[in-house]
Amino acid sequence: MSSTAPVPRPQSVDLTAACEASSVRDILQDLDRSLIGLAPVKARIRETAALLLVDRARRELGLASAPPTLHMSFTGNPGTGKTTVALRMADLLHRLGYVRKGHLVTVTRDDLVGQYIGHTAPKTKEALKKAMGGVLFIDEAYYLYRPENERDYGQEAIEILLQVMENNRDDLVVILAGYADRMDRFFASNPGFRSRIAHHIDFPDYSDAELLQIAQTMLDAQGYALDGPARAAMAEYVTARRQQPHFANARSLRNALDRARLRQASRLFEAGRGPLDAQALSTLTEPDIRASRVFRGGLDIDRPSA
Amino acid sequence: MRLRQGQFSFLPDLTDQDIHAQAQYAIDQGWAVSVEVTDDPHPRNTYWEMWGHPMFDNPDAAAVVFEVNECRKMHGGKYIRVIAFDSTPGWESIRMSFIVNRPADEPGFRLVRQEGEGRSLRYSIESYALREPEGRRYA
Amino acid sequence: MNDMSDAKTVTDAKKRYSAGVMKYAQMGYWEPDYTPKDTDIIALFRITPQEGVDPVEAAAAVAGESSTATWTVVWTDRLTACGKYRAKAYRVDPVPNSTGEFFAYIAYDLDLFEGGSIANLTASIIGNVFGFKPLKALRLEDMRLPVAYVKTFQGPATGIVVERERLNVYGRPLLGATVKPKLGLSGRNYGRVVYEALKGGLDFTKDDENINSQPFMHWRDRFLYCMEAVSRASAATGEVKGTYLNVTAGTMEEMYARAEFAKSLGSVIVMIDLVIGYTAIQSMAKWARDNDMILHLHRAGHSTYTRQRSHGVSFRVIAKWMRLAGVDHLHAGTVVGKLEGDPATTKGYYDIFREERNPMALENGIFFDQDWASLNKMMPVASGGIHAGQMHQLLTYLGEDVVLQFGGGTIGHPQGIQAGATANRVALEAMVFARNAGRDIWNEGPDILRDAARTCTPLQQALEVWKDVSFDYVSTDAPDYAPTASVAM
Repeated sequence: MSSTAPVPRPQSVDLTAACEASSVRDILQDLDRSLIGLAPVKARIRETAALLLVDRARRELGLASAPPTLHMSFTGNPGTGKTTVALRMADLLHRLGYVRKGHLVTVTRDDLVGQYIGHTAPKTKEALKKAMGGVLFIDEAYYLYRPENERDYGQEAIEILLQVMENNRDDLVVILAGYADRMDRFFASNPGFRSRIAHHIDFPDYSDAELLQIAQTMLDAQGYALDGPARAAMAEYVTARRQQPHFANARSLRNALDRARLRQASRLFEAGRGPLDAQALSTLTEPDIRASRVFRGGLDIDRPSA
Repeated sequence: MRLRQGQFSFLPDLTDQDIHAQAQYAIDQGWAVSVEVTDDPHPRNTYWEMWGHPMFDNPDAAAVVFEVNECRKMHGGKYIRVIAFDSTPGWESIRMSFIVNRPADEPGFRLVRQEGEGRSLRYSIESYALREPEGRRYA
Repeated sequence: MNDMSDAKTVTDAKKRYSAGVMKYAQMGYWEPDYTPKDTDIIALFRITPQEGVDPVEAAAAVAGESSTATWTVVWTDRLTACGKYRAKAYRVDPVPNSTGEFFAYIAYDLDLFEGGSIANLTASIIGNVFGFKPLKALRLEDMRLPVAYVKTFQGPATGIVVERERLNVYGRPLLGATVKPKLGLSGRNYGRVVYEALKGGLDFTKDDENINSQPFMHWRDRFLYCMEAVSRASAATGEVKGTYLNVTAGTMEEMYARAEFAKSLGSVIVMIDLVIGYTAIQSMAKWARDNDMILHLHRAGHSTYTRQRSHGVSFRVIAKWMRLAGVDHLHAGTVVGKLEGDPATTKGYYDIFREERNPMALENGIFFDQDWASLNKMMPVASGGIHAGQMHQLLTYLGEDVVLQFGGGTIGHPQGIQAGATANRVALEAMVFARNAGRDIWNEGPDILRDAARTCTPLQQALEVWKDVSFDYVSTDAPDYAPTASVAM
């Protein structure tokens, strides 16, 4: 019914102005400021943003017609910032006009694959529909593919995903995420995905210094601080924790700090002497850190999988 | 005969882009959008078959266009409409309804008159398509 | 304003009830410190006292004459809880930008009224007092009806929501037309107009207020031919169609008989005129609810008391009474058409019809917060001098829940009635479509209509014929308060 009148085509474009207008620069600067480390990731996002800006400009001038493929894979170990960056990416794509709403829907295999015949297609479609206008983030995407079981319903979800990724390119962007090596094997056995993914971004592990800085930032946000000896203990903790199983970068740090706060609370409670000032309430001390099993070469007690 | 039910039946058939725009309006009002299909277009046939549940949690109308097209694959020869439900107090009813798919041939309705006392008549209308049983109409 | 009178209520009982004449303000009808109770009915009058009459005394007199008072002191007051039954004028404000006029706020105890009876309410509030000599003029501007009172009424028999469900029409204004000429068509010719208009795309056609049962067309003929037309149009379009069959007659018995006949023929709607009176309206509303029928009310006669700014009853008050009384449709102005209607005032009326709660909005002439306690909503009807070329203005001013009646704009179309109806329907659908799709219809309206006319010749012709028709006259009933003004309560 709609008859869109032809808009006269411009003769030139101003990339700087386009960049300002879409406030892409703000997002990139915010990314730089608020995310510690991740230099290669930031560089890749900057490149992607530039590519999309140029692509949009080319289409305005009539140099290109088809919208680019935007599906991505984010590979890296747990706790390296994939979900956080996916949120920013959704915002970026929205501001550049590549998705209409810019929300992020995070799912895993359980959200897509059903338990019985006829269960999977509605679940997968439901997830895709929710993500339309934004970004669908499939964490540990390789679990969708279970070659050892040829009747596995994951295959059905994969087929629907591929179809929608192809036919509804204007409606949503899919980001597949997980460990690098397993994602590589997944792509090798599912060439359909490989060919539909245009952007691969690898998330490296954080260095010890970066992790320590992340710990500081997390504590700042909660209104806590480490005293001198505690900071030294924390540095040792980072080095030791990395050698132990189930290391999950920033996520491990968050868990460690949560437990340290618990210990601080019981320490203050049990000491029970006189009134406490603000500083006492918000300082973590060396024993709060050193009590961790990590220093005894063992796995930390709870959350073994974190 | 062209069935004139719905908000936009006097306009040319809606494109997918049109459907998206109208459904997005409904979503932006906070209404849940639903797709329904029938082979019995009688004006008082209230309950068309539901094509899935109303979409309560889809921020973008691409989801509606997607379902309309899924429904067309199965029921392309029938009437399909998009409706929007408003759950706010004082409404709790439908706020939009428009046809997005119709059979290639629409035979229309027969007016049946039953003579009564004096000059009185009782009227009923019947879809010609309903001479066939469900599932074989608009074949 | 509250210090403008030296009148004080006489509290010494012996003095208060000694025989003779006393100022109303002294008798207890002026209570500047009174805070109205949640259950009080409040009336706002515009009073114009005679020269030399103190406005507070005038307000107290209105309170007195519309409640318990008579011209002289009566000792029998003392047999009653008279303090409760006296209406209380509690506030008098000068009307902005006018001299000699005052707004008087008067509170009435709920026990002064019988529940569920507009007749009883009006017998008090507008019963005697409008002829009262110390006043030059008196106008009832607005009323606050407490929830406890609202709940004693049925309210609209069908309401907007269920009317739409019955008609299977959502998301756009309904379209109607009054059959013209108003008088003289035979039943058979009359039905022709109905058929053409409905088949062309209207939802409703309508009898005019004075079409009842005259020598040129007796009512049964009209009903029979009209229902043939409605049924044929319904079969031709697959839509639910209706025609407002006017059942107004000389007696209730006759109105019931006509309504029953309309029902037996399958009509979805019947119509009555305001001139049948409040009790008859309430009876028909009850009948309509009992018989699954939509009830259309034509406000015939209202301008005799609603139009003058200084005397009478504001239409917003009539609208409130009609929502209580239980009609489904009521004419409420078009803003852009040939009949009286300032945009801000008209918005006030529409809000009274359609909202669950009306907050005070002086710029729309609404003086009180009014809660409708889940009474059904009334469908406003816009009729009189409107045409397809104004569709963007109509949709912007009046919104979606309204019946747009294009009488002349349908029947006067150069290519005939069907073409006229189609032009209106296409214009309407195109405008709603464009609004939903995010276009600025107020400014782009004419372009949207021109685009729609490319695939619809009847619309093209309609736009051409009526392109210069507009009715720009100064309104006689604009609000007294500018949009930004706020008045201390």
